[in-house]
Amino acid sequence: MKISYNWLQNYFEEKLPEPEKISEGIIFHSFEVESLDKLGTGEKVDWIFDIKILPDRAHDCLSHWGIAKEISMIFDLKINFVPEIFSQVLARLPNSDGQGQGRKTGPDHSKSCIGSELKIQIEDDKCLRYMGRIVKKVKVKESPDWLKEKLKVIGQKSINNIVDTANFVMFDLGQPIHCFDLDKLQSSKIIIRNAKNDEKITTLDEKEINLDDSILVIADEKNPLAIAGIKGGTKAEVNANTKNIVIEVANFNSVTTRKTSQKIGVLTEAVKRYENEITPELCGIAMNSITDMIYALAGGEVEEIVDIYPQKTKQRVILVSINYINKRLGSNFSKEEIESVWKKLDFEYTEKNNEFEIRIPFLRIDLNGPYDLTEEVIRILGYDRLEEKLPEIRLNKKVNKIFYKMLWTRHKLLKDGYSEVMTYSFCNEGEVEVLASASDKKFLRNNLTDGLKESIKLNTLNLPLLDMDDVKVFEIGTVFLKSGEDMHIAYGDKKNIVEISLEKFCIKEFHENSLSNSFSEVLGRGGREPVPDHLKKNSSSEFFKNSFKMWSVYPFISRDIAVWVPEGTAPEKLIEIYKSFGTELLIKEPKLFDSFTKPASSAGGNDKTSFAYRLVFQADDRTLTDEEINVIMTNITNKVLSLGFEVR
Amino acid sequence: MEDNQKGKEHPLSIVINDAVKIFTDLGFEVATGPELENVYYNFDALNVPKDHPARDMQDTFYIKPARPHDNSGAGGGEPEKVLRTHTSNVQIRYMENFVKSGKKPPFAIISVGKCFRNEATDATHEMQFYQIEGLMIGEDISMANLKGILSHFYKKMLGEGTNLRFRPSFFPFTEPSIEFDLKYKENWIEMGGAGMVHPNVLDKCGIDSSKYQGFAFGPGLERLMVIKYLMPDIRPAYQGDLRFNQI
Repeated sequence: MKISYNWLQNYFEEKLPEPEKISEGIIFHSFEVESLDKLGTGEKVDWIFDIKILPDRAHDCLSHWGIAKEISMIFDLKINFVPEIFSQVLARLPNSDGQGQGRKTGPDHSKSCIGSELKIQIEDDKCLRYMGRIVKKVKVKESPDWLKEKLKVIGQKSINNIVDTANFVMFDLGQPIHCFDLDKLQSSKIIIRNAKNDEKITTLDEKEINLDDSILVIADEKNPLAIAGIKGGTKAEVNANTKNIVIEVANFNSVTTRKTSQKIGVLTEAVKRYENEITPELCGIAMNSITDMIYALAGGEVEEIVDIYPQKTKQRVILVSINYINKRLGSNFSKEEIESVWKKLDFEYTEKNNEFEIRIPFLRIDLNGPYDLTEEVIRILGYDRLEEKLPEIRLNKKVNKIFYKMLWTRHKLLKDGYSEVMTYSFCNEGEVEVLASASDKKFLRNNLTDGLKESIKLNTLNLPLLDMDDVKVFEIGTVFLKSGEDMHIAYGDKKNIVEISLEKFCIKEFHENSLSNSFSEVLGRGGREPVPDHLKKNSSSEFFKNSFKMWSVYPFISRDIAVWVPEGTAPEKLIEIYKSFGTELLIKEPKLFDSFTKPASSAGGNDKTSFAYRLVFQADDRTLTDEEINVIMTNITNKVLSLGFEVR
Repeated sequence: MEDNQKGKEHPLSIVINDAVKIFTDLGFEVATGPELENVYYNFDALNVPKDHPARDMQDTFYIKPARPHDNSGAGGGEPEKVLRTHTSNVQIRYMENFVKSGKKPPFAIISVGKCFRNEATDATHEMQFYQIEGLMIGEDISMANLKGILSHFYKKMLGEGTNLRFRPSFFPFTEPSIEFDLKYKENWIEMGGAGMVHPNVLDKCGIDSSKYQGFAFGPGLERLMVIKYLMPDIRPAYQGDLRFNQI
């Protein structure tokens, strides 16, 4: 979720730490911060955090308030009580309604509240709470600049002062809110019911949606006005002509909201909050906030709240002992330290015999047991407080047969000269299909042979680049058949590929009772030579020299050169020339592929030997041309000739 | 030059073997499980409820049902199988069998296997990848033990200079949940997730969570291979290209 630094500042009297500091604090105590971007310049500067709120905290942290509470806890800063926020937001911003400096806020609508004609009827328990309030004689207009700015920095468009206020409160407190135009309703009665199977609704973005009886709607006495918790309809849309409004602050079942959203393919900010479940207890705070704000920005006559809340949420109480926490963490935290966490979280608690009884705030739906409170303790005190302790525990060593067979097979094939490849499990045809894929390959392989064939083709073309005489490869991997998955092995070369199930291959080849003896021997080094004991201790340093070099994506050119030298001449002499005149484009050690000696008699003179080498050239940044390689080969030839050797 | 007759092992296999060796030396038992998995073992048993946003945390490959269900209900049957999104399915399968066989903790398993995520491929993400799953349960196996084991493992793999740190995170099957980073050659690198096994997961498998506790971890192995051998891209690992077998 996008969170604005300036918006957060509204929650604190004290100046917040620098954005980078805030980001670091959040990362090590709360959430991953995916990005931090600076917006604007000069006085208008703001920073936007993109914070990854995972489902456990989407109940209470898809909001600036939620993040402000985390910051208050992390940095030990006093946070303002929510209902104060709005007056402060408004008071601190000059020209808040475009009419001049420092307007007096502190809306006093509570005194002037008048009785309400609003009637609300909940017909299905998918609606957990519905709070409505009529405000009459509002002035719908453009939002003040500060409000537009607040929404803009988190990527939201401004519509008008009423809609913007509802959005603002949602991003502030995490409670979705909707406003209807009262005069567009059949009567002042709102019904929360399941849709009828032939009903339709046109949503605010002008899409027509077919409804059915699994879908909860907000309706007047005749038509659906909104898809509950998901999106409003055009029928009762608030626009420039609106005079009287109904504010909806409600709570809907998380699972059914999610299912409906998926069914009709509409995902909104409201859905993101409802599908993660938010507490119905949030409705009251949100209703007060939005009323304050609407009153301040659009004026009007505020009526009483009508609140239908069939089953009041009970506050959860969790018992957790100091011993439980320390045992689970492997820590040694004192009672005082643990208590400090409850205080930072603003929990109400009592303590008896080193056990805490904690009343969990309604918004913290994620806290269900002592294990959840253990997490609160360690994330707040800091994971750096945990020591690294190896467990002292005696375990029975046991060998896994499937894994052993894979190791054994790999070991055997490597020894027989086959190199290992891994290819993709996905392909264009097969027996098992996935429903949807980010790639065009929707089937799972039913054999390894096809992948191996491709591999052999590729590697045969690249043979001069490989330190191998010919291409022999194998793969051990799962194939997917109608009857289920099976572990196969396949091995082969250009001429022939054998594929067989791992089980069958091993039955032919080994005895299971030899298994436990050689397990660790095979395991340690795969197909490589066993590591001598003196190296084992120091195995990490041995690894460092094995660093990997990525190959060039450009084609290589290979040239052969055969040279007559007097018998007894060391071939290193030629290699030296090839390397120094081959330039950095010569990427492989010159490879001797043929040599023979001709006795003196037939040619006259001394015995001579022919050495034929293959030189492989490749550039990292371009396709080489024949011309540039010709130049190199000419230089090499000239050098060879200058030493009195003969190029064949 | 090395003996040409001998084949060259895939670098991932080398990493897998080295990794498994480090854990089996500590007494972990190797466990395996299917890549094509029931929804139950991939999600439900791991405390990831149906119709919960936590299921969206991983982009899952659902398998098209082999026989479309009878025409009762609209849209046919729901998929019952997935390509496993993590090796955590092995935890459940192992614990179920363990309990059935009448044994009691402690136990520790390590499982390396291929997993799948339905997401676009780039230099650091593949649709298929290897995870190394660890699980240790006993009477007082703690989060500090998790830190100890992971630290031991990465020091063995990458050298004594490697440092480990935890950050808060969320997985439905662990509580507390963390992500861990490694400091390797002066950079902090995100490695994977871990945590204390959620009591619901133990209870579902028939292990008394009021008596036993322990940790689980499941980092990817490609990341480890890539930093260990300084590879710029993981994609060549699955292209059957022998130039990849350099190690």
